[in-house]
Amino acid sequence: MGIMNTNRTLPSNLMVFELRRDLTLFQRFRQNIEPIMEMYGLSEEEKQAFRDENIKKLSELGVHPYFLPQISRIFHGSAYNHNNSEAAQVYARNMVDGADQEG
Amino acid sequence: MAQLVSTIALSHAPGLTGWLDKAPKEEQDSLVNGFSELGRILRDTRPDVIIGVANDHVLNLEFQNTPDFCVGTSDKWEGPAEWFKDWVAVPHYEVAGNKQVADTLVNAAGREGIRFAFRDKLLFDDNWSVPLYYLTPDYDIPLVPIHMNCVVPPLPQPEYCYRVGQTIAKIVRDELPDDMRVAFMATGGLSHDPGGPKYFDVDEKFDRWFLGLLEEGDPEKVLREATIDKMVAAGDGGTSELLAWLVTMGAVGDRPAKTVCYEPAVELRCGMGCVYWDMS
Repeated sequence: MGIMNTNRTLPSNLMVFELRRDLTLFQRFRQNIEPIMEMYGLSEEEKQAFRDENIKKLSELGVHPYFLPQISRIFHGSAYNHNNSEAAQVYARNMVDGADQEG
Repeated sequence: MAQLVSTIALSHAPGLTGWLDKAPKEEQDSLVNGFSELGRILRDTRPDVIIGVANDHVLNLEFQNTPDFCVGTSDKWEGPAEWFKDWVAVPHYEVAGNKQVADTLVNAAGREGIRFAFRDKLLFDDNWSVPLYYLTPDYDIPLVPIHMNCVVPPLPQPEYCYRVGQTIAKIVRDELPDDMRVAFMATGGLSHDPGGPKYFDVDEKFDRWFLGLLEEGDPEKVLREATIDKMVAAGDGGTSELLAWLVTMGAVGDRPAKTVCYEPAVELRCGMGCVYWDMS
C-alpha cells in the first residue's frame, strides 16, 4: 500500500480528517467510537478494524498512509512520540513487525 | 519591483522539537546548530515577508477537492493546531500574515495560468511550527503560507512545481510593492515514510544524492532525475514533500544550493537537513 493507493472516498478517511481538526469530535471519539463511526457511515469492515486498532487492515482498506500513525496516536497519545513510545510501538507491531494482527 | 532576498529549504519533522533528546548528542548538535544557522542566514537578509511552501499533511485540503496549491490570505496566523500541540511541543505562537501579498499571488498567478486556491483559515501542524521555531524564534517576520498537496494522488508534477516557483518569483519581481524584501521558503522532506513499512528508517543514500543534485545548480537535471517515483521509493508517505523544494528552485535558476546541515535522523524518523541559495 502507499499514497497512490489511497481510497479518497473511504468514510474512514473523511472521519480521520475531521478528528484531527475538531477537538470536540476527537474527545467524543475517545469516549465512544461507535456513534462517530456510525455518523460517518463506516462499513462494518472499517468499524471492526477501528475496534481492533488494526492499522494494517485500515491500510489495506485505503486509509491514507499519513493517517495510520495518527490513528495510533488518537488511541495512545501524541506526546513525546519517540520510537519507543506506546503509539509508535503499536504502529510498529502492526505495520513493520506484522506481529500483532494479520489483515 | 520587490526583491527576492532569500531562498531556503528545510525539513520540518516534529521530532526536532518533540523528542530531539532521543537522537545521538552529535546529531542533536548538528541539527540545532544547522537550523539556527539557517535562521541567521534568513534574518540577515532582512525580509519583510516570507512566502512559504509546505506540504499540507491532509489537515486542510480535503479529499473531496484537493487543490495543488492553496494560498493563506489572512493577516494573522497561529499554531500549532490544538490536536498537534503536545506532539510538536512548541509553545503557542502567533505570526502575522500579509493579505496584500497573498491576494496578489492568487490573482497574478491566475493571469499566468496557475490556479491557486485560497482561504483565510489554515491549521498549522509541524509544517510551519517546527521551521518557525528555529528560523524566526520571535515570530516577527510575516508569513504567507502556501499549503501544497504532496501526498494525495494525483500529485503536482515536478515540472509544474518548478513553473509555479518561476511564476511566484516573477510576481515578486513585477507585482509586489517597490522595495519590499521577500524570502521564499520550502519545508518538507527529506526521506521519511509515515504510514509505510519504512517508518523507522531513513534513506540516507537518497538524501545525500538529492542534496548533491541541488548543489550542482542544474535545474534541468534536477527535474529530469528527481522524479516522484524516486521520492516515493525513498519513503512512500512523506519524501514527496520534496516537491515543495522544487517550487522554490523555480526561483533560483542555476544557482547551486548550499547545504547547511544533514543528518539521517533515525530517532526522528526523517532525513533532516536544510539548504539555502545565495540570492545576492
